[in-house]
Amino acid sequence: MFVAPEGESAGSQSFHLSAKNVTVRFGEVTALDHFTANVPRGTVGLLGPNGAGKSTFIKASLGLLELDDGSIRVGSLDSRHQSLAIRDEVGYMPEHDCLLQSMNAVELVAYLAQISGMGRRDSMQRSHEVLDFVGIDEERYRLIKSYSTGMKQKVKLAQAIVHDPSLLFLDEPTSGMDPQGREEMLDLVRRIGSSEKTVIVSSHILQEVERVCDYVVIISSGKLIRAGETLALVAGEEGVHSLTIRGDSKAIADYVGALGELCEVLRKTGEGDRQTTLLLRGCGDGRAIFRLAAEGGVQVRSYRPETLDLEEVFLRAFKRGESNGN
Amino acid sequence: MGISPIQYRPWKGERSAQNLRMYVILRSVFRHGLKSTGVKILLILGFFLIFAFQLIFVVLMPHERLEAEDMNSSLNGFGLAIFAMLLAAVVTSDLISEDLSSNSFVLYFSRAVKVRDYVVGKTGGALIIMSILCMVPPVLIAVVATLTQSGGDYLHSAGIIGRTAVAGALATVFYIPYGIMMSAFTRKKSYAAVGTFMSFFVLVIVAEVFSEFAREWRIISPVESLVYSFDWIYGESLPSYISEGALVSFLVLFILVPAALTYLRIMRQAVGK
Repeated sequence: MFVAPEGESAGSQSFHLSAKNVTVRFGEVTALDHFTANVPRGTVGLLGPNGAGKSTFIKASLGLLELDDGSIRVGSLDSRHQSLAIRDEVGYMPEHDCLLQSMNAVELVAYLAQISGMGRRDSMQRSHEVLDFVGIDEERYRLIKSYSTGMKQKVKLAQAIVHDPSLLFLDEPTSGMDPQGREEMLDLVRRIGSSEKTVIVSSHILQEVERVCDYVVIISSGKLIRAGETLALVAGEEGVHSLTIRGDSKAIADYVGALGELCEVLRKTGEGDRQTTLLLRGCGDGRAIFRLAAEGGVQVRSYRPETLDLEEVFLRAFKRGESNGN
Repeated sequence: MGISPIQYRPWKGERSAQNLRMYVILRSVFRHGLKSTGVKILLILGFFLIFAFQLIFVVLMPHERLEAEDMNSSLNGFGLAIFAMLLAAVVTSDLISEDLSSNSFVLYFSRAVKVRDYVVGKTGGALIIMSILCMVPPVLIAVVATLTQSGGDYLHSAGIIGRTAVAGALATVFYIPYGIMMSAFTRKKSYAAVGTFMSFFVLVIVAEVFSEFAREWRIISPVESLVYSFDWIYGESLPSYISEGALVSFLVLFILVPAALTYLRIMRQAVGK
């Protein structure tokens, strides 16, 4: 499973959310520019710099924005003609403060549950259930205006899941939270994601996305620039290895020179006088590396396929996007 | 061993129809409004100052049937128009402004709610509160007067009850769209309340000043135009300087233009495009 960019063969039926050639303009500004992505079921990270088009994509998916071109499908529903039906199936946790200050958490969540179509009794019971789930205890009877940022974030999550949507948009879910609050929120996201929901997490904090998301979509300037399974993205390029060596500086310099004849040295990072890490491409099975090291009196401390973190993936994708004119 | 975390549980119930969701908003506005001290004070004060004496009067005074002139004077035109104006300013002040200040439009419109349903729900809740002062007591007085009449012409009295219901409905509806419009253009409840009241007050002053030169200007005073409307509904003659067409045009403009502006404002806020 993967998040397929334009041209991939998988049909929209196998994806929970499918955007095809979507263009949204605000006057002269093009927020989404022929954006195409297929989002599978699971927990999906939506990444991009400020103004990349993430929020526009979410709003367009909810049918809140008129598309200038293209189409978005949620399951089998078309956002242009069935936006109300989509909104019954979608939960949205906005980034900014949006809670009604004059209500307490139980009243607010039950009220929004009723607007989502629940009966009064059901909504009250469900409100307590989801507030238990997100960890709002007796404070649920206090007015929301007295809540901390972390508690408000949890109530925002509770109102987004109260009507049991199959697709959940979380916009910066850990925004403004302390480290413990972040951990709790990420745990909640993980637990919701494991209950067969599709959770789309829009966040700037890449480490968090890497920890909870199975898939990642990277947007820049309204275009999809990279998408795929998180594990595949951070696995690095095939045939690229990281080598850490130790020895005296002259031996290391000679060894690196000899390696340069054998394979491509992409990057050299010194760690003090006696240790260096190299990023190599095209070194085959690595036997020559160990032979050269033995001959040159250099100690090989590690030799393994390259692994990236999501930040590196994001930066590389972003650079590639820029070089493509995006 | 810690306590096991509460797991996410699916909901298996059935959703109500999407076009019924506006009633949830309406009910919330109504309940929230009735909790407000200002609203409670105005409702109680308004009832006792305008209607309580009239109610006792119709029970005690012998009468053969309900008459239009008696009912028109029972409405105490200026008193009702002024109390309705105050109540509308208080009831509508936080209807939209609270959603604006807390950015909570997104909570409504990320659900299956249309802008139309939102506006109708908010307006409907406010109208029900207004009707507690503007419609229910006059109709109650008319019904009590009919039940205690000595004559047998109940058909005539029923006609007056109908006219009273129309007059009450007009008083209920008249100020609400303007108040909601003011609430839709500010984030502060106090600005909305004061702005609504002051706008009406300014129109009354302008009408008063310009009527010195031409008496037709009286029609732009919301209080006076409402009183003229009561006269018209009860079949009494309007002053010579007020034409029926001008009166109806003012009423329609005073209700429809603010309603349209509110809709457009919320549409812009909700969709942002």
